[in-house]
Amino acid sequence: MKPTFLARWINGELSPEELDAFRKTPEYATYERIARASEQLRAPEFDVEAALERSRDARHDSKGKVIRLRPSALNRWMGVAAAVVLLFGAAYFYISSRPALVQTGIAQQSEVVLPDASEILLNAGSQVTYREENWDSSRKVRLEGEAFFKVAKGKTFTVETGIGEVTVLGTQFNVLQRDKIFMVRCFEGLVRVQAGENTVELPAGTAFRMVNGQVEPAAPVTDTTPEWTRNESAFRSMPLGFVLEEFQRQFQVEVNTRGLDLSQRFTGSFSNTNLKMALESIRAPLQLSADVNGNQILLYAAEAP
Amino acid sequence: MENVCDEQVYSQLFRTHSTTVFNFIFYKFGNEEKAHDAVQEAFVKLWENCAKVTPDKAKAFVYTVANNLYLNVIKAEKVRLKHRPDQAPVTRQSPEYLMEEQEFGERLQAALNRLPENQRTVFLLHRIDGKKYNEIAELEGVSVKAIEKRMHLALKSLRENIDGI
Repeated sequence: MKPTFLARWINGELSPEELDAFRKTPEYATYERIARASEQLRAPEFDVEAALERSRDARHDSKGKVIRLRPSALNRWMGVAAAVVLLFGAAYFYISSRPALVQTGIAQQSEVVLPDASEILLNAGSQVTYREENWDSSRKVRLEGEAFFKVAKGKTFTVETGIGEVTVLGTQFNVLQRDKIFMVRCFEGLVRVQAGENTVELPAGTAFRMVNGQVEPAAPVTDTTPEWTRNESAFRSMPLGFVLEEFQRQFQVEVNTRGLDLSQRFTGSFSNTNLKMALESIRAPLQLSADVNGNQILLYAAEAP
Repeated sequence: MENVCDEQVYSQLFRTHSTTVFNFIFYKFGNEEKAHDAVQEAFVKLWENCAKVTPDKAKAFVYTVANNLYLNVIKAEKVRLKHRPDQAPVTRQSPEYLMEEQEFGERLQAALNRLPENQRTVFLLHRIDGKKYNEIAELEGVSVKAIEKRMHLALKSLRENIDGI
């Protein structure tokens, strides 16, 4: 038997003589049954349209490519959950005319590259949406959470948040908007911030901050990038409640407090990569006690000795 | 000229080739999730390179991406195939006959799982997807002759396995 004989047979390429001879062999019956039975086989269902939809969503993300900068074993399930949310979120936005959506879960950061090569670095627990169509004439991003922007020169670039708007022409700046906190730090160039009745122009090295609707003095910007892009969360006179929320965005833990004033201000920083050290960075300066039980952390005022 | 970056052209390519990519990876590894991922990966890459890949090269492009994706990475699992539901039989078949058919189907399934991944893929692409040898050769990136040899060996092993040799 030639090494391709059976391939030619099942493909109906044998000559009548070859076929006749083959039929007389004792093996033929089984071969024939294999050919027949294999025609009844089916592959698992594959929904082409659903897959195409998924592919469209993935393409939006890939234009602003989602790169997990700091994967951690802790957040595997949060990652899955975030991916599911992203999928549904993206599907939803797709239906309503498809802006691109990029979202990060706990302990994740993402890098988004926009059509004009402007970059957005998303901190944990944040999301941006934007429209790719007519990007060059209308550069607009909607932000919830915190992100660092490196904007390529071009038409006005606008970041919208729940509290205020930041407009620039081409520069590097960080925007943070969570709950009642809105803070913009300009690292390069000039940005205009509009929040409520306030409109401020921020040159490089300056910042704007608003807590609970009140404009507060903001410390000058001395770095070239926000601390969180170097895996550190830094705070200057921020409400303790906000600091603890940020802590829970950076680590897969649940923090509870007992008898603490969450509006008291905190100045300091913690590492985003070392849970133990990070906890110590908050606990020690405030002279708190901490009970750690698995993923649960309880913070309370240390009792007098 | 038609361009893959065009939504219409892209969707058309997706509809034409995604099922084959899915089945191809599934037959190799028996893992549906990986097969879904392969489709996404291949077509997102196609989109990213849509300016460089012409529509007539797109097929070979997605096949190559899918093929390279899992090179030696994942271990093959059992390939679980379904049987086509009976298409309203004209003559009623005896229970014995049906039982025998079912039993043969199970033996075929078991024998398929014992095949080397490249032989199983060729066999199933031909039998289930009705792919021609030259199309399978394009998918696998080898010669038509090589595919014919794999098909021959696949049939030979299946027969020997089922007949208990």
